[in-house]
Amino acid sequence: MTSQRDTFISNLFERAKLDKDIFLISVDMGAPSLDKWREELPEQFFAAGISEQNAINFAAGLSASGKKVYVYFMACWVARCFEQIRYSCAMAGNSITILGNSVGLGYTPAGPAHNPTEDIAYMKSLCGIEIYSPANNAVTKELVNLTCDEPKLRYIRFERSFPQELESLYLDSKIDSDFLNMGSQIVLYEDGGSGESTICIITSGYLLARAIEVSKILESEGYDVAVVDLYRIKPVELAKLEEYDYDYDLIVTLEEQTLSGGFGSSVCELLADSGYKRNVLRIGLPEKYIFENGNREHLLNTNGLSVTTICEKITSKL
Amino acid sequence: MAIMDLNEVAKSVRRRIFEFKTRAKAGHLASCLSCVDVLVSLYYDNDTFFDHKEDVMIFSKGHGSPSVYPILADFEYIDKSELEKYCTPEGILKLHADHTIPGCHFVGGSLGNGIGYSAGLAYGSGKNVYVMLGDAELYEGAVWESLIFISHHNINNLNIIVDRNAMGILGKTEELLKLEPLEDKFKSFGFEVCTVDGHNFEDLREVFSKKCDKPRVVIANTIKGKGVSYMEDVWQYHTIIPKEEELIKTAMEELS
Repeated sequence: MTSQRDTFISNLFERAKLDKDIFLISVDMGAPSLDKWREELPEQFFAAGISEQNAINFAAGLSASGKKVYVYFMACWVARCFEQIRYSCAMAGNSITILGNSVGLGYTPAGPAHNPTEDIAYMKSLCGIEIYSPANNAVTKELVNLTCDEPKLRYIRFERSFPQELESLYLDSKIDSDFLNMGSQIVLYEDGGSGESTICIITSGYLLARAIEVSKILESEGYDVAVVDLYRIKPVELAKLEEYDYDYDLIVTLEEQTLSGGFGSSVCELLADSGYKRNVLRIGLPEKYIFENGNREHLLNTNGLSVTTICEKITSKL
Repeated sequence: MAIMDLNEVAKSVRRRIFEFKTRAKAGHLASCLSCVDVLVSLYYDNDTFFDHKEDVMIFSKGHGSPSVYPILADFEYIDKSELEKYCTPEGILKLHADHTIPGCHFVGGSLGNGIGYSAGLAYGSGKNVYVMLGDAELYEGAVWESLIFISHHNINNLNIIVDRNAMGILGKTEELLKLEPLEDKFKSFGFEVCTVDGHNFEDLREVFSKKCDKPRVVIANTIKGKGVSYMEDVWQYHTIIPKEEELIKTAMEELS
């Protein structure tokens, strides 16, 4: 299955062939889709070396001269150039698109330095930034159009890989800028049929598959469960939820982040600001850096995000 | 403009900087005074290449950026009355210049970033971009990341100027944390390097009227607090603004 990164870069490449103002800067990161770009559009490509600070500053300057600039590196390194993103982009009003590959525990077993598990907290603090976490390639592809057609400061969080079943999401939907502007979608509503409590699970990216699994188990136990794909992390928009009048007994946020400032916090803020008094359960990674060995599935399971543990946390809260 | 006149302009620019800084009691006065002659050479001397209407001046050394305010007033980017409103709610001029001020192009205040930004702007726009760095700013690693990049891509429409007043906040750079041999460092990165007396208009004219195929660094040797005798080369004046009437009077006499 094509990765989100390659889907994005290969589609951006098609746009770049027609738009000489599009530039891609790689901070010493390769990709199969990038090889073609480097060969055919070398004048629209920069190898910045391992230098995140200069890459962002140079990108900001290019943007100030009217170019559409994309900076591609591992998502964990946004912390290394946070000041440059804040200062040269957010503060100075320069629109660039930051492509961060492999969010959450995607780079296991590389250890916590490679696994950004708090990036949402610090990146969402930047004034005016938009943050996206696509769950599949259909949404990823449309982000290319959005970033080309409506330049803004954006951080796009790619999953290094994602469960194949998520590719079938939105097959019947029109994925366009209106879709992206919705910010989130209810992807599933399981009717337990017994009038038991109703639950809404808000999640994004890789964990969406796990949330769907959880919803089926809870449905079999008689609960009504909605699953929401929050593909835009900032600004958080839960417009579709209003159709359901936020009428859930429990709203659950499920994220591959520590809970100090993840999107669970954003959802709580939105609910508070909207005047909705609902029980909220935030589920995420423990407040620690994870040094254990194991693949992503293993580490999720051993760090409080197994399907069973998620189900238990939810039902015990009801 | 004749050299003699440039000296008079520089004195006038320094006097106005001294006036608005002491009025507002807002710091970095000495850092502003050191780079005045370089700016006067670029903006007022018709024999130097810099054209303020076409070219771009970026202050990476943001705390020195108020030194350009009197110049922007002279060239009518801003109203002269703005100098009197410096750092007040009624005025547009701030301690660090930013892109909201006519004639200014970048946010000031975070060191080490203006050089990479200027490289992108120069590359993308094709304009001649001049970027002013402080020497103590060279401790920032981001500067050296950018130097590698600029040299490799031969971005020779970018003019890097180092205001080498040889001081940081705590004292002399060579005593606190050595920067020398600075010229060799830039050369080894692939730059053409010119070291000049940053207060000598003939030297400055010679450097800034010379075309260069390679990217260039101009190291302008300057004196922190230049023009006010009791401030010159006294590191404590990085943060101190003269308040006593006698000190202000002395400075104004020296700058008149």
